[in-house]
Amino acid sequence: MKTNELAARLTSKFGEGILGVDEFPGLLGRVRFDAAIASKLFHTFRDDLGFAHLTMVGAIDWIDHREVFYTLWSDADRVYVMLSANLPSDAPTIASAVPVWPSANAHEREAWDLVGIRFEGHPDLRRIFMPEGYAYHPLLRSFKIHEPEDLEVKVRSE
Amino acid sequence: MSGQTPLPAKVPPASAGPSAAIADMPLEVIGQPGVPFVEIETLRAREFIPAAKEALTSLLKEQANGKLIRPVFNWAGRNSLFPLHWGLACCAIEFAAAFGARWDAERFGVVPRSSPRQCDLLIVNGTVTWKVAHKLIALYEQMPEPKWAIAMGNCATGGGPFRTAYSVVPGVDKLIPVDVYIAGCPPRPENLLDGILRLEQLIKERGA
Amino acid sequence: MSEMWVNMGPQHPMTHGLWNLRVRIEGEVIKDVEPEMGYLHRGIEKISEDRHYNEIITLMDRTCYVAGLAWEQLFIVAAEQALHITPPERAEYIRVLSAEFQRIASHIMWYAAFVQDIGLMTPFLYGMRDRDLILDLFQSYTGGRLTYEYMRVGGVRNDLPLGLTDRCRKVCDWLMDRFVEYDRLCLSSTPFHERCDGLGVLEAPEAIAYGVTGPMLRSAGSRRDLRKDRPYSVYDKLQFDVATATTADVTGRYLVRMEEMRQAVRIIRQCLDWLDDHPGPVMAAQLPRWLGAPYAPVGNEAYLLKRNYPTGVGFSMVEEPHGEAGAYIVNDGGEHPYRVKFRSPVLINIWASKRYLPGYRVADIPPIMGSVDVCVGECDR
Repeated sequence: MKTNELAARLTSKFGEGILGVDEFPGLLGRVRFDAAIASKLFHTFRDDLGFAHLTMVGAIDWIDHREVFYTLWSDADRVYVMLSANLPSDAPTIASAVPVWPSANAHEREAWDLVGIRFEGHPDLRRIFMPEGYAYHPLLRSFKIHEPEDLEVKVRSE
Repeated sequence: MSGQTPLPAKVPPASAGPSAAIADMPLEVIGQPGVPFVEIETLRAREFIPAAKEALTSLLKEQANGKLIRPVFNWAGRNSLFPLHWGLACCAIEFAAAFGARWDAERFGVVPRSSPRQCDLLIVNGTVTWKVAHKLIALYEQMPEPKWAIAMGNCATGGGPFRTAYSVVPGVDKLIPVDVYIAGCPPRPENLLDGILRLEQLIKERGA
Repeated sequence: MSEMWVNMGPQHPMTHGLWNLRVRIEGEVIKDVEPEMGYLHRGIEKISEDRHYNEIITLMDRTCYVAGLAWEQLFIVAAEQALHITPPERAEYIRVLSAEFQRIASHIMWYAAFVQDIGLMTPFLYGMRDRDLILDLFQSYTGGRLTYEYMRVGGVRNDLPLGLTDRCRKVCDWLMDRFVEYDRLCLSSTPFHERCDGLGVLEAPEAIAYGVTGPMLRSAGSRRDLRKDRPYSVYDKLQFDVATATTADVTGRYLVRMEEMRQAVRIIRQCLDWLDDHPGPVMAAQLPRWLGAPYAPVGNEAYLLKRNYPTGVGFSMVEEPHGEAGAYIVNDGGEHPYRVKFRSPVLINIWASKRYLPGYRVADIPPIMGSVDVCVGECDR
């Protein structure tokens, strides 16, 4: 499958929901999509396009908005593809991929913990790395790196 | 130490350093240890026998006086340190290597135990995060007295390369009292053995 | 019988690192598990945003401390893509040589720790002895035993010293004999089979759904290996077989790792022959000046403004000893990467214990979790 072929298939199915399919070095392409169609898009990629492996879920804080990206692998085509959606910074919410790929569970907990993305429909959206009750999402650009005191107080008071 | 036993005649000369020794090492010596430990062994033999004599003499004397037999405990305790079997991070791999075939720390009476109740030495071998901080304190408090702690590596000493990170304790001495610091990232197993020997010296000097 | 939760960790001989396995048991039978991570979360992704590319390599060694060179390669492949730099071919062969030796060292470390878990004490000493020989080789060309800082954006730091390839060949011959010995120690031992056969079964479709990769997936019969499926570096020029097993249990994972070590020796021998015949540079010739001098000299701050930073993205997935590791680097045209995201295979392999642990007994946890090959440094990052 080629990038433009993928773009044609996705646009014919989702229309306005697909914002664009970019060339991406080393990948089949990067599919930018609207967060509203996330759940349907995941099902399409797994069931129709054969991307059975979810390898990575991560998020980037672009200050004015946040980006969630998913990388998928297809055993038949032997390619990776990246899905990416922009979310507003004040309400970063997207549908969870756990019903489609169970492996998304740990990845999404990590994205919630570090970048503060809310995944709707996730069975157990808790922090995975930082202690429960920690006040910040450390990988936000607004988080200053020399700020261990709050955590220190929190741990000592337990 | 008064009556020093003379050194055995057949002591090989000390090498220029571990890395130099290993770089020059031809592969034919593949089954032999890479670093000569004869030196350390002689040191122990020189120290061990007089210390045992001293301890036993004072034991007899103090028993005659009706006092506690502390020197014997000191001598026995410092020669059989039981560290806690707990791997934190990178240094834990070198900690394991020190108990492997080449370095064999058990020669020095150092045997890792899995329960803190059986230990008297806590080797903090890696980065301590705030999430694990109170668990580390709990483990230290579960160890019976007298107990000692070694901060192994730069992370446990002062945060190391992760000092600026938001989740890392910059030095384990913020949580528990530390007796010996070992520098290195990670320290070689020789460094760990040296740290343990220095701790033994420290225990002897404190006489606790 | 009433159910209860039991904590195994963070200090437990089973964990091989700093994590906690909460187990819900009914009598001896495991009903549910809840792995807890994050006890070694050191914020490597955040620190990386504040560091120059060649300085992040230091962190990569410490991210996975039993497979430092493999993680250096992971980062370098992505960073070179993000910075549009092509390394010379000799550097690529040296990287593959290093990564494959690292795979053997990591698997031997796993073997030493795992077999001790199931009650055989001798293999620990044998394994550590042979691993130290590989570390001696690393030491003679990188200078470090565990943390190397050897690979650089654009190549590797220094060429191999004279005579190293012959030493490597001798170690390879020695190791091939030892692998036979390892198998004899384990596979001829009845306690080994009693404690490992048929435990922790995770069939391939479930393993794929739960994101499990590496030897755990290949032990279920899958032939997935990124070195074959999506060759990076020079793996497409090297001949090797993908090690698989069919039992999908602890013994299968043991067999896969043993076969992988033999295949790694095969790859190493091809690399050594190539390196002997093709001398040449090990760093790219046209490196941007700022890569070598990350900070402006004092009094010459205008130097900072004159630099011409590229922009780009880098994405790499490599077959690390524990599974498939990934890196995604966003370079928005600055001295530091804007965002670095790593995918750790161990995090997912541990997390999938929710699928492969329930139903077994409490005493089966050490062999099953030992067969996962846990490295908490890369799991928590």
